[in-house]
Amino acid sequence: MRYGLYIHIPFCRQKCFYCDFPSVAMAGGREKLMKPYVETICGEIEKWHKKIEEEKLGAPSTVYIGGGTPTALSEELLEKVLCRIGKISIEIPEFTIEANPGTVDLEKLRLLRKYGVNRLSIGVQTFDDEALKRIGRIHSGKEAVEAVELAIRAGFENISIDLIYGLPKQTMADFQKNVEKAMGLPVKHISIYGLQVEEGTVFGKLAEQGRLELPSEEVSEAMYDYLNEMLPQNGFQRYEISNYAKNGYESKHNLSYWQDIPYIGLGAGAHAYWQGQRYYNPVDIREYVSRAEKGDKLWEVEELLTEKEHMEEFCFLALRTVAGINRKRFAEVFGKSLDNVYGKVIEALIKKGLLEDNTDGVCLTKLGMKYGNQVFQEFLL
Amino acid sequence: MAENTNVADNTQRIRNFSIIAHIDHGKSTIADRLIEYTGTLSKREMSAQVLDNMDLERERGITIKAQTVRLEYKGKDGNMYCLNLIDTPGHVDFTYEVSRSLAACEGALLIVDAAQGVEAQTLANVYMALENDLEIIPVINKIDLPSADPERVKNEIEETIGLDASDAILASAKTGQGIEEILDAIVERIPAPTGSKDKPLQALIFDSYFDSYKGAIAHVRVLDGCIKKGTPLKMMATGKMFEAVEIGCFRPALMELQEMGPGSVGYIAGSLKQVRDVRVGDTVTTQENGALEPLPGYRGVTPMVYCGLYPVDSADYDNLKDALEKLQLNDAALVFEPETSIALGFGYRCGFLGLLHMDVIQERLEREYNLKLITTAPSVIYHVHKTDGEMIPVDNPAEMPDPTVIQYIEEPFVKASVIVPNDFVGAVMEISQNKRGEFKSMDYLDVNRVMIVYHIPLSEIIYDYFDKLKSSTRGYASLDYELADYQQAKLVKMDILLNGEMVDALSTIVHVDNAASRGRMLASKLKEIIPQQMFEIPIQAAIGNKIVARENVRAFRKDVLAKCYGGDITRKRKLLEKQKEGKKRMKAVGRIEVPQEAFMAVLKVDE
Repeated sequence: MRYGLYIHIPFCRQKCFYCDFPSVAMAGGREKLMKPYVETICGEIEKWHKKIEEEKLGAPSTVYIGGGTPTALSEELLEKVLCRIGKISIEIPEFTIEANPGTVDLEKLRLLRKYGVNRLSIGVQTFDDEALKRIGRIHSGKEAVEAVELAIRAGFENISIDLIYGLPKQTMADFQKNVEKAMGLPVKHISIYGLQVEEGTVFGKLAEQGRLELPSEEVSEAMYDYLNEMLPQNGFQRYEISNYAKNGYESKHNLSYWQDIPYIGLGAGAHAYWQGQRYYNPVDIREYVSRAEKGDKLWEVEELLTEKEHMEEFCFLALRTVAGINRKRFAEVFGKSLDNVYGKVIEALIKKGLLEDNTDGVCLTKLGMKYGNQVFQEFLL
Repeated sequence: MAENTNVADNTQRIRNFSIIAHIDHGKSTIADRLIEYTGTLSKREMSAQVLDNMDLERERGITIKAQTVRLEYKGKDGNMYCLNLIDTPGHVDFTYEVSRSLAACEGALLIVDAAQGVEAQTLANVYMALENDLEIIPVINKIDLPSADPERVKNEIEETIGLDASDAILASAKTGQGIEEILDAIVERIPAPTGSKDKPLQALIFDSYFDSYKGAIAHVRVLDGCIKKGTPLKMMATGKMFEAVEIGCFRPALMELQEMGPGSVGYIAGSLKQVRDVRVGDTVTTQENGALEPLPGYRGVTPMVYCGLYPVDSADYDNLKDALEKLQLNDAALVFEPETSIALGFGYRCGFLGLLHMDVIQERLEREYNLKLITTAPSVIYHVHKTDGEMIPVDNPAEMPDPTVIQYIEEPFVKASVIVPNDFVGAVMEISQNKRGEFKSMDYLDVNRVMIVYHIPLSEIIYDYFDKLKSSTRGYASLDYELADYQQAKLVKMDILLNGEMVDALSTIVHVDNAASRGRMLASKLKEIIPQQMFEIPIQAAIGNKIVARENVRAFRKDVLAKCYGGDITRKRKLLEKQKEGKKRMKAVGRIEVPQEAFMAVLKVDE
């Protein structure tokens, strides 16, 4: 059985201004939570390990340790987690950890390699030091480049970086420089996101007060067009709306989110998708730890998907990928043909130039990628 | 039950009355107190305001369908009397219905708010009652209010209506004061019906409604003759034959009777399939030895305002038809016929008595039948005289003939009466002048209040005349209008082009002098309403080939959520659902998504 395992480490040195992920800055005594948190996580991994054995599920095909900043953990705590995962299997086909420049050194990276981590996702965001300060990052552009070099030296071959475009005050020229710099790095994978201003973040507040100077829609669009031209030219093929990889280096773990593959989620704020049901864990770290200590259940049911909801999600998630919706898989999962359910919708969207029929199914056109939400909505029944 | 029958058998002991009042002056609460006081219903049985029993009526505080109730009351002389309260709809759209209700009575309570005084609509109804020779009992309500000024209101009644208000009853529906006096006055002052049991049957239909078990039910007032259960009957105007399957009175629930003599008020259920068979104002008589002449005053239904109703989802076309048919069962004033719009597809052209009627129908279709609708801007009926001498009525601007074949156009004018405190006379005149009104008269009702009469196009009234009046008189203005005549006017059709394509459902008829400014306002309003789409949308207003205004809706550049991983999925679906919900209100016109309110935008422009 193919499934993924996600582990969330919600600690950061400092919270980035745009971030609405479950994470906390390690100040005000919260660093003391790290140890009990790691112990809780290890306990949770152990429980799953047992379940895996009892139900003969086999080891997860992908493991992803995300955050927050997983590398904000000390070597000692990091090793505990890795060691516990290692008991399930020492050879996870894809084992990713997120890292922040400024929280890694050669030692830590070697430790990761030692425990079978074979993919490193580095949060670069931008190489421009001024811009980094403006978005609340703790590192410099130079440190980001160094982090990639260190990773290579530590033996990582599969390295990904994250970039953001449409940052406050960013110009087209700034962004072009960023892309050029990224293209010169020995990385295999790039995730590149348009900045989204979310409620409850520092940027959210600034925007409310009218104090966030974002590039115009036109500039932001030009950036989007530029990256979608440049990345493929440099061998990074787009395989999902915001993800690009050299041939064979697509993130299998992330693909599982879009391909209706189950995943387990451990840690505060982590989500899981298991047997057609979506779950989430409490975001609050103290609550998460105390529930574990009391032996209470750690997760809440987010949603038991009805067939309708399952179909909707199946489609709009698959459409995020370049491969699109596979007719055969749709029929296997739902026992109905895609065209029976969505024939009219598909026809209309093809007419509008947003969707196209590839022989296996349907996928977004170049235009459709840009206006994805317009397409996804139509797949809600 | 036998006793009940007896009371009404004696014509001398029957009193038929209705209540005339302005909205909010307390008609329903007074009616409730009368019902309560006479023990017709116990307090427990009464949901507040029994008479307004449609949800919409209660929400809006108005009566749409009139109700009737029979009260039994022991008069001061010790005799039991049967008092039939015939409620009337309280809105200018339903003037004809009011006139028929009044024609079924011998008297009326005129209820005037002790603080507010006489209003335009009240006046119109009182005049109608006087025309029908009704005995009018003035009641000054809400005298418990600190701002009550009964003496001023009495003066107003005397001066404006010419009624003797010296014996006006001071009442408060809230405290119950005056209720017994009202009942005694009804018995003592309102004449008993006259009429003979031996004459051929003449019963006036003053209302109707549809009951899913009994079919269309006629509310009738018997003038002469007698209706017995099982008698073969005939509608004199429509010629419809039927049988009195069930007859009875309203308590206020239906109570069966065997016989209804002269003066009685009650219902006839005759297995009639639709209310169209039961026309308000029609006369019921017997098939054998029936009356030779019907009662005077019957009038066919004449809608004043038309609009197009289109389902947002074209798959709902049949459902819309079913729903309209069901509503029509109970609303003889609603007319509709299929219509096609290039922009909106298949829908119905519907005719209404007025704007409120239109609003109510639209809301009921959406609420009770769960339909998502596009309503086009309301239109009046234009008389288009063509060069070949033919006159065609046009109720849809899109169907206006080519200007080259039009000799001239006439539009309906109304006599609009506005009552305001004299401080606002200037404001009323300014608005009316701007709306192409012609001043007719101005009369002081008392030292403070003035009635101003204008001759004004109906199209301006349905446009935003009343809203403007209300807002520039701090809500004091009250308006009543009635159709006056048709007059020639310099009118032109203004078209709207979206993306270079004419959208027929957005065409309007405007006066040539206002055309350019209305065009600019409408284009800029549409720019606000139409959301950004994947491409730029030019909006143009045109008269013939001449573009009088243009605007542009900029394209949005992209629309995609950058991130969507495990934890984002549920939230993402919710976001999409929200986005889609917004779209449900939109209609695809060509490749442009146009929100529902765009089709009403012409009514919403600020001048």
